[in-house]
This record gives sequence, structure tokens and C-alpha cells, in this order.
Amino acid sequence: MMPSWPATHQAPGVAQQSTPASYAYPPSQSTLRPLSTIAPMLTSVSDPAFIPVTVRQTFGQYAPVASNPYGGYVPPPPPVQPQMTTASPVNGATPAPEPAKGKVDWPESVRNYVQRSFLPQNDEPSVSRADIEAKLKNTIGSAKEDGSLYTIDWDTMPLPQAFVKAQRDAELKHAVTPSRARDSLNPKKRKSSEFANDDTPWRSTNSRSSLEDRITYPSPEKRSAMDEPLPKSSKFQKEANKRKRRFENEYKSLRSPSPPPPSAGPIVGTCDILEKKYLRLTAPPVPSKVRPEPILRQTLDLLKKKWKKESNYSYICDQFKSMRQDLTVQRLKNDFTVSVYEIHARIALEKGDIGEYNQCQTQLRSLYALGLKGNPIEFKAYRILYFIHTANRTGLNDTLADLTTAEKEERAIKHALEVRSSLALGNYHKFFQLYLDTPNMGAYLMDMFVVRERLAALCNMCKAYKPDVKLRFITEELGFESDADAAQFIIDNHGQDLLEDRTEYIAFLTGKAGLLFENSRSAAFRKVDIKGQI
Amino acid sequence: MNELFDDFAQAHARQNGYQLAQTLSPVAPPGQPNRLRAIWQGTNFHSVKGDIKHFIKTNTSHRQKLDHTEVNGWVEVYMAYWNAIGEILAGESGKSSWTKVYESWKELTSMLIRGYNSFGFAAWTIPSLYMVGKYLRLFAIKSDEERNRTANDPAVGASLMQDDFDSETDKQGQLRDCEQHLKRIFTLCLNDRAPLEESRKWGIYFIINLLFKTYFKLNSASLSRTILKTLAVYKDKGDMPPLEMFPKSQRVTFKYYEGILFFLEENYVEAETHLTEAWKLCHKDAAPQAERILTYLIPCRLLTSHVLPTKALLANYPRLQELFLPLATCIKSGNLRAFDLALQKGEDEFVKRRIYLTLERGRDIALRNLLRKVFLAGGFDEPKEDGGAPVRRTRVPVAEFRAAISMGSGGDLIDPDEVECLMANMIYKDLMKGYIARERGIVVLSKKGAFPGTGL
Repeated sequence: MMPSWPATHQAPGVAQQSTPASYAYPPSQSTLRPLSTIAPMLTSVSDPAFIPVTVRQTFGQYAPVASNPYGGYVPPPPPVQPQMTTASPVNGATPAPEPAKGKVDWPESVRNYVQRSFLPQNDEPSVSRADIEAKLKNTIGSAKEDGSLYTIDWDTMPLPQAFVKAQRDAELKHAVTPSRARDSLNPKKRKSSEFANDDTPWRSTNSRSSLEDRITYPSPEKRSAMDEPLPKSSKFQKEANKRKRRFENEYKSLRSPSPPPPSAGPIVGTCDILEKKYLRLTAPPVPSKVRPEPILRQTLDLLKKKWKKESNYSYICDQFKSMRQDLTVQRLKNDFTVSVYEIHARIALEKGDIGEYNQCQTQLRSLYALGLKGNPIEFKAYRILYFIHTANRTGLNDTLADLTTAEKEERAIKHALEVRSSLALGNYHKFFQLYLDTPNMGAYLMDMFVVRERLAALCNMCKAYKPDVKLRFITEELGFESDADAAQFIIDNHGQDLLEDRTEYIAFLTGKAGLLFENSRSAAFRKVDIKGQI
Repeated sequence: MNELFDDFAQAHARQNGYQLAQTLSPVAPPGQPNRLRAIWQGTNFHSVKGDIKHFIKTNTSHRQKLDHTEVNGWVEVYMAYWNAIGEILAGESGKSSWTKVYESWKELTSMLIRGYNSFGFAAWTIPSLYMVGKYLRLFAIKSDEERNRTANDPAVGASLMQDDFDSETDKQGQLRDCEQHLKRIFTLCLNDRAPLEESRKWGIYFIINLLFKTYFKLNSASLSRTILKTLAVYKDKGDMPPLEMFPKSQRVTFKYYEGILFFLEENYVEAETHLTEAWKLCHKDAAPQAERILTYLIPCRLLTSHVLPTKALLANYPRLQELFLPLATCIKSGNLRAFDLALQKGEDEFVKRRIYLTLERGRDIALRNLLRKVFLAGGFDEPKEDGGAPVRRTRVPVAEFRAAISMGSGGDLIDPDEVECLMANMIYKDLMKGYIARERGIVVLSKKGAFPGTGL
């Protein structure tokens, strides 16, 4: 027979499917509590925020029926609320209220629950049998005490293993920062810490009896912390982080049991919104916020259109970064990946965003190395020009090493190589001719170092030519658009006194320049922007 | 097993670090190809600890007795060693992998380092650090090779949170990891405060050289600078024995790497100093080492003092001869075209040794030699007054240089502006003294020393 609910009740829980179903307490109770609050009750007996419930023995007889009052509806396992974290330290110390007086007739559902807890398939390596027993005692004990023994749906109650883990995780979250710092600074001080009495196994692997503690350090992370005189102990840090991540994952999967447990493999996105703001990942990516390749393809088309129409670089760059991120977290390395990076690289080049460009070209290099299709010739040529700009000899050497004989004959690469060798040999004449005939978008890169090369050439000329040369010669040799541009360049570098108007032409008094341009030259070579360089 | 610890005890009695290091070798000595297997089969997982302890105690009892804690330390070390050779032997029969070998050897490294930190291993034993460190690096390289062979996408979980792929770093993951451990040995040696006679500081250059090798292999040679800076601090404090007191082999390697670091930074003057030192220290029979030093010293000398290697020097090193002789000949004769071809021919090899960009600049010297020939061919001006010494013709038409450069470059006529540009470069770099009078189309060369350093 079903207990009759008071008329004032508006069928709690079932109405809103999103929240877990709640089971009402006997009518005498004024407060209705969803099942989820049981978890804190179990652990924090002294929690002042909660109203103690007295046992109602009479209710017992209805228990088997009451276990499923809403017919076929089986509520999902209750989420574990974060409140329980605060309760944890108490519960280890609370003695399980094993009733010494008389035999208690445990309901079938409770017995099943206990049985389930020890089934091999529910075995959790990180939680020992003793822990499970303690937790069970605790759970059932407090349920009996507050009368919820028959109201709790034991069939859907999370297993003690889950509680133990959630609790550890919560503790870890609280403790991880201070305890980690302490570990790396002074591992021996651990004894005096607030966790001295803690008995959870994950910590007990690290804490040991005081005598041992003084002599040996068997755990590897502890050892490395000792050996390293500087308090770096990156290995320990890594371990701790790994642990933390592991527990966090478990905690999450416990809280919302629907998503599959995170695996080591790449995720597959499920998001179908085309645009997405770029955010640096601080936690493993969530599939629902990652776009799969078909969506990304649509995104790329959209972005291309938008770029043509609006040319809003900060928006485009942001969007491309989020695309790159989605590709990376899903481990998508194919021709499409190449095109995303290529297009971003080109746009970045056009806008002079050299840092972003460099990130793209670095990726492109390894993508091409995988044999993916794209425009390797174009981008390898850019790479050479980029390394000329950043004066990165190691990079240049490596790039040369990467080129095949056939590639060296390709126009763009050949051009870039000639640019390089003309500069290496100080052949500014050839350099500026090459500058005026740059394939693809290479001129954007060359623009970045053309000024300093002009200064270098000017220094050269000022030392070599006497007494003067025509300004037109400078214009032609240094690739200026007009005499006015050339004159402006000289004036900008404080050479106004070296220009002389001689009715039919303007002379540039190289013989009088002395070391005038040397300072500008060395300054120009010094401030190579190496932002984003590998 | 007994033999191993007999050697161990003997080494301890004599305080012979190198003999001790031999007992930790992962390679069987030539005379005893079965040594490793014998050690491995000498005990088993259950009794390894007890056995090793027993052997150490019995073998040392009648010689130099070991301190109790020190014995414990060595037991740990040899247990790790025993495990490691187990992996190596398993690997030989295809039952293990280099990665596992590396992991077990890393454990051995940690145990040994721990021995110094916690069990009071004496400083004379540091050659065992050399042995262990040396093979740690080799196993790391093997493991990286193996992983790159077997797995196409070795990144598991690592790139999950990144914005871009990071394939480069991953390819040498183990070696990077190895670097961390070598750094630990470095710190272990560096920070020893014991008096100099019994200090681990004597191990510093060995481990520095090992780190240099690792950084170069990781393509991040510049990280070596950090090590040198740290070392310089200790040197300045007078807290480090002078380099001259270390074994010659270590000094040669150290100087070699120091020289190369400067070389890569284009500081050829400094590079030359260090490489010359290495060259002088190098044992006369150590041909491969001498060859490596010369590979960088020759280009250095070419740029700093425009000196080419003699045929006699190159004759001793066939490989170097092949590398440098064609270039040297072209530079000498001022044959630009042949120089370009020779450079192109050797490009792959030069690039691999990272000397291409340096050698390329040898073209300047070839050009200088060519221009000098033009100057010589110009002969002498009529002496202004009778009886005066003949004076070389110092006003040379640009056209003459143009003809020479065009011929030297293979016959195509070179643009006169480009010729002037090349001349301007010569003047700017002080390879030639004088100036270009563009309006008159002539080059006016200095009467005294138009080509410095060439006797003209």
C-alpha cells in the first residue's frame, strides 16, 4: 500500500525531469529533501545547516513498496554535491554506530547494496576493502540513525567506492596547492602537517612512520625531490599534477555519469556551431565544444568569405586559432589541416603578424614532412625568407638541409635561396633586383628586412664611392619607387646634408657621409623581432 | 656474480674509480663475451638483494671494509644494474625494447645519484657516473629511434590540451628526458662542497661534455651557454679547479665544443682560439677527433685570416681533402664559377656539418684574388720623374674588373652596376683599399697596400 502524500505536495522531483527525483520524507516532516542531500547527511553528522530527522519505525513496513513510488521511473544516481567535501575529515574518526542491542532486520535493498559493493566487477584498485567496509558502515549506520534507511533508494545509491574517491578528490582539491608546495620545499616536514592522522590510502603511500621517514625514501618522486638541491622537482610536480588530473576525471565522471570516461585517445567533437571564440585550454577539451572536421570545413568557407568581405584581422585570427585548436585536440592531420594552416599563414603574412605566421609555418613544416598535400614550395620559400629576416642561421641551415635538389630548382625556392646568397655576399645590387621580382606573398616578408638591407647597402656605398653619386643611382640600386622616396629615406636617417641639388640632377655626397649610417644600420640589425620564434 | 664483486672490492681497495666504473658497464668486455649473461643468471628476482649484499660483504671483508650505509647504497645500485642488464639481454633476444632498457638504466642512474646524496659514496668513484651517464644518453637515443620507427603518432594524451601539434619535441622525447638526468649529475658534481682533493667537482667537465653532446643532438646547442654561464660563476669564485688540471681527453672535447659554440654564433675570432687550443691538445693519433676539429678550424681560419689549408695538412685527412681542397684551389686561383660549383657539389655535406654558410663567404676571398690579378696585370705607370721607383697603376677602369669578373663567373657579361656593387663590398670589408669614382668609371686603388695582407 502506498503512503498517502499530503495534498500540499506538488509531486516533487518528477515534475522537473532535469533534477533528480526526490523522495519525500514522511508527512510529519515539514522539509522535503531531495535524495542528493543524503550524501552530506551521511558524512557530516554535525552539519548545522541540516535538520536532524528522527527515526520513524512505523514507516519501515512500507519500505519495499516505497522504493519505487513512481512506477516505472527509475531516478538517475544522485549527483554528489560538493558540500560533502567539508565533511570528510570527521568521518574517519566517527565510530560506525553498530547497534549492539538486538538484531536489526536489514531491508533486502540494503543487503543487496552491501553485496553489490563487494562484487568483483565493482572492484576499484585505488580503494581498499577496508575503506569500503568503513564507508558502508558509515553510510548504512547514519541512514539507520536518521531513519532514511527505508527511504533511500539503495538500488541506485552510488557504491562506497565512488564516495571514497569523490571524497579524496575533494580533499585533494583543497589540499593540493599547499601540500605540493610543502613537499617540494621540505618533504620531511610532512609529518607535522594537518594531514598527519589521515588514513586514506593514496596519502598513506607517501606518509610513513617517523623512523623510516628519516632513513629511506623509497617512492621515486620523493627521491628526486631529495636529490635535486634546488626545489624544482619537476618530476614530483608532474606526478602530483597527473594524480590530480586523474582524480578530477573520476570525480567528474561520477558527478555526471552520462559521458563516457575520458580515454587517452583523441576526442571526436560534436559541436555544430560554425564560429567559436579562441580560448586557451586549461583542462582537457569537451567534445561538445569541439567541432568535427565537416563542421570545420564549413567554418573555413565562412571565414574565407568573411575575410574577403570584412577584413577584420583580430576576428579572423581568433577564429583560426580556435580552428587550429579543434584540429589539434582531435588529432586531425590531413590535407584539410594543411589548408587551414596555409590560409592562416597567408592572412597573418598579409597583416604582418609575424608571430602567428611563424607558428603556422612551423606546423606546416611537419605537416608537409608527413607527405600531406598543400603548397610546400610556396611555404618553404617563405620559411627561407623568414629566417633571413630573423637572422636565424641555425634555422636557415636546417631549412637548407630539408630541401631536395628538385625543390631548389623551383622558382619560389630558387628566388629565396638567391635572396639569401646575395645578402650573404653583400650583393645588394642583385638583392634589390630580386626584391622587385618576388613570387607569391614573399614580398610581405622581404618588406620586413628591406629597410635594414638598404641601410647596409648605404654604408657600403658611402665607404666605396667618392666623391659622390647621383641620387637616381641610389633609387635604382636600392629599389626605391622614386627619387623622392630615396631622398626621404636618406633624410629619415639624418643624411639631409648629403643631398645636393645640381640643376640637372641631385647628388648624394657619399664621400662626406663617413660613418653616418653605421649606427642606424647596426640598430636595424639588432632589433630583429623574434616574437614567436621557435 | 662473484667475479663482478671481486672486481668491485678490488676497485674499492685500490680506490680505482675507472675499475669500479667497469663493473657498471652494460657491454661485456672483449675477453668475456658472456659476462653479462653470467651476472644475470647468477641470481633471480627473489634473492637478488640478498645475493648482492652477501657478495659485497664477503668480497670486501678481507680487503677495504665498507661502511654499512655505503654497502646499502651499492646494493641498490647493483640491483638496478642487474635489472638493467636483464632488459638488455632480453632485448638481444627480441623480448624487450630500448625504451625499457632506457627506463631501467635511468633507474640505475637515479640509484647512483642517490648513493652520492644519501649513502656517502666517495668522490673517487665518480667514473661510475661517467659510465652510467654515457650509456643513459646512448640508450635514450636508441629508444627515440625505436619509438619513431614503431609508432607513427607517438603522442598519447600529450597534445590533447595544445593549440598546435608539437611533433618536433616528441621525436626526441627520451633524449630530452635524459637531459634532465644528466643535469642532475651536473648539479651533483657542481655543488659538492667537500675539499677539492675529494670533491666531485672533478667530474664536472666530463658531464658538461656529455650535456653538450646532448644539446647538439637536440638541435638546441645554445642551451650549452647556460651551462657555461653556471660554470663561469664557479670559476669566478675560484670554486672550480682550472681546466688545465683535468684529463686531456676532457679538455679537448670541452674546447672543441666551446669553439663550435662561438662558430655557430659567427664569432670566428673566439672560435678560432678555442679550436686551436683543442687542436693542439688533441692526441696525434686521434685522427677522427682531429678531423672534427679541423672541419671547423679551417673555415674559421679562412674567414679570420684568409688562410687556406695546405695540401700537406689535408693529405693526412682524405675526407677533409675531399671537402676542402676543391674550394681551396678555386679560392686561390680566383675562379668564381668553379668556386660556386664546388660549393654546390659539397652543399649537402657542408650543410650537414653546418659550415655551408661560413664557407660560402670564402667567395669574397676568391673575388679578392681575382681583382688582385687584374691589378697585377695592369702593370706599372710611367715613373713621373726619371730614375724614380716604378709605381703600379692604381687607376683601373671598372671595365677591366668587369671583364675579369665576367670571365671568372663563366663568361656571361655581368651588369656594370653589379660589378661596382661587388667592388664596393671588397672596399667595405677592407679586402681592397681605394674608392670607386663612378662618374669617371674608374677605381682608384691605394698606392700602399691595395690588397692588404697579400704583399701588394
